[in-house]
Amino acid sequence: MTNNLPTVSIDHINKSFGEFTAVSDLSLAVYPGRVFGLLGPNGAGKTTTIRMIVNITAPDSGRIEVFGRQITPELQDRIGYLPEERGLYRKMKVGDQLKFFAALKNINGKEADQRVDRWLARLKLMERKNRKASELSKGMQQKVQFTSAIIHEPDLLILDEPFSGLDPVNVEVLKEIILEQRGAGKTIILSTHQMELAEKICDDICLINRSRKVLQGSIRDVKRGFSRNAVALRLQGGDNVLQDRLLVSKIERHSDGVEVLLAEGASAQALLKQLIEAGAKIERFEIIEPSLNNIFIEKVSEAE
Amino acid sequence: MRRFFAVVKREYVQRVRSRMFILMTVLGPVMLSLFGFAPALILSIRAGGPVRIAVVDQTGKLYQGVYDSLMDKAEMSESTPDQMNANVLNKDASERLQEIDDQEEGNFELEEVRPGGRSLNEIKKELDQRVLAKELDGYLILPANLLQDGKPEYFARNTGDLFTRKSLEEALSRAVRQQRLAEANIDARIVQELSEPVQLDTIMKVGATGGVRDSGEGFALVFGASFIMYLTILMYGQMILGAVIEEKETRIAEILFSSVKPFTLMMGKLVGVSLVALSQLAIWGLAFVAFVVFGVGLLAARGLPLHIPNVPLVNFIYFGLFFLLGYFIYSTIYALIGSMVTTAQEGGQLSMPIVLLPLIGFYLFLPISHSPDSSFAFWVSMFPFFSPMTMLVRIVTQTPPLWQIVLSLLLGFGTVALLIWVAARIYRVGMLMAGKKATIPEVMRWVRQE
Repeated sequence: MTNNLPTVSIDHINKSFGEFTAVSDLSLAVYPGRVFGLLGPNGAGKTTTIRMIVNITAPDSGRIEVFGRQITPELQDRIGYLPEERGLYRKMKVGDQLKFFAALKNINGKEADQRVDRWLARLKLMERKNRKASELSKGMQQKVQFTSAIIHEPDLLILDEPFSGLDPVNVEVLKEIILEQRGAGKTIILSTHQMELAEKICDDICLINRSRKVLQGSIRDVKRGFSRNAVALRLQGGDNVLQDRLLVSKIERHSDGVEVLLAEGASAQALLKQLIEAGAKIERFEIIEPSLNNIFIEKVSEAE
Repeated sequence: MRRFFAVVKREYVQRVRSRMFILMTVLGPVMLSLFGFAPALILSIRAGGPVRIAVVDQTGKLYQGVYDSLMDKAEMSESTPDQMNANVLNKDASERLQEIDDQEEGNFELEEVRPGGRSLNEIKKELDQRVLAKELDGYLILPANLLQDGKPEYFARNTGDLFTRKSLEEALSRAVRQQRLAEANIDARIVQELSEPVQLDTIMKVGATGGVRDSGEGFALVFGASFIMYLTILMYGQMILGAVIEEKETRIAEILFSSVKPFTLMMGKLVGVSLVALSQLAIWGLAFVAFVVFGVGLLAARGLPLHIPNVPLVNFIYFGLFFLLGYFIYSTIYALIGSMVTTAQEGGQLSMPIVLLPLIGFYLFLPISHSPDSSFAFWVSMFPFFSPMTMLVRIVTQTPPLWQIVLSLLLGFGTVALLIWVAARIYRVGMLMAGKKATIPEVMRWVRQE
């Protein structure tokens, strides 16, 4: 697998349901050995795009290629998919369920048994192997669902909101596995609302809003394109200065300070000067890259 | 194909392993026999003592005759023509009724009331009082001209007791007939011998190869096959409905759809559940055969003749084929309903009318057995929802040409395939629309949609 050939390439696809346009003129390429973040607000068209990649629905027009070819049932075996809408057979034992999912991906017999054991151990679920799914906590069920998507060790792993409902410890476990898969040269497509996580895991992102792509590129490039001077501050007083729309376009308050985006034409120097003149007591003043979260919010609200 | 087998295997193994399956397999025959015997048991319960009846015999000649025929069971072997009809269809039932009749007749207490110079009205008044005082259950008045054209009158506290009424009527008729014959100087014993009833015991079926003995067993087998078909549909239809809805309720469908086509999934479920049904039927069937073999052995040991149904082997093959057709036609309808709804409750409501369809097929038995080669019978036996029952009736009564049987099977299984195809489309789109019940126009659009 070379790094030049995309695992997934989407070429000007459109999809609508009756009057409603779900995806319009979307093109993107996802490369092996990278984590691709598909971001966007609810109803932006992320899930529809993913469904077209895994061949659950077909685009109205445009072309999707996976592993350099039009998708076929055989190629589906090389894809692992964890949808946002997911569940387990309630009355089936965890081990049996995983073996069933493995069988659907053409992994049977001893090989399947070994993989089930290996992955259950990895996710610390071994002692639940013979329990029914309905007896598991929600978080544990989530982990079993994740395992069902990865049990056949696919070349392309597509995860739709994999972290929702998980505690921080398990988020770490999943994150570790995802990064490990990336290291092994697999391709991962990740859709999430959790921007802090996306920022830490993703190499490339594509932001979709209202069925259209609004932003795409590697996280580095995207952030660089947005480094229109964001400033992190910890200070006492100076509130009037921060409210000045000529200086600051947006304030975000955290527990240990504020993050502001400078207005068009304003400079960090000017802000610092004004704050000092206003008598504010400044503990921290740092020019930072904007968070993915801020970029997301700004891009999405721009369109409103 | 392997995906299909994976689905079938999961469906089958999960269900056969379940406690419910094991319980039903054991309890099923018990419940069936309860359904079979309970009505007879209940009917045979006799609350209270014998029926006490007073007879006012104004002819002065009939009391002894009535008494004899009510109390003497030995003479009770005459069958009415309609009972004979019933025999062909359901021997057991009419025999059971007969037994109950017999018990009933042993349970009368008769007393003769002689006028002794009193007027009829006085006697009536006195008897009314005794009925009200519960010394009597009722009384009969046989007018003096009964032997010519008079009508007897029956007064009772409970006139809704059909068994008593029927027994009294029969006893009276017999007594009157015997008296009339006696008055015409005809010996009662000769009459008995002469009026021995005839039963069409051996029916020769006229076929191209000459007469074939047919004593109605084929018909009884069709009836039995249809009955089992109906029961199976009722029992497993719900299971199929549940199986199809399961992935929606557990939200597992989308995970599956990235590996399996909806059609394959739907087919796998249908076949998986059907194998469960067939396994259960096979277990019951084997148990029944074992029981029969054992029972027949026991009967033979007692020197009772064996009775082997006289049905051509090819008919058993037809039974099998049309049984499967009937089963699949109706279970795909359940699958179709399952594909449209999101919860089991909704599915249950929608599937209510389906239970009626095979019943209609059931009722078509009679018109078709009367004229199996009419064009009505032809069309009805081509219509997929009725053909499993109706074509079988035609086969055992007057076997239609082979092309008709084949055509009926093709139409039926074609319909099954079409229904599954439609169901799979509705299933897929309905599934991805997430969580809302489909309206009919929506469903139509989904079917047409790519």
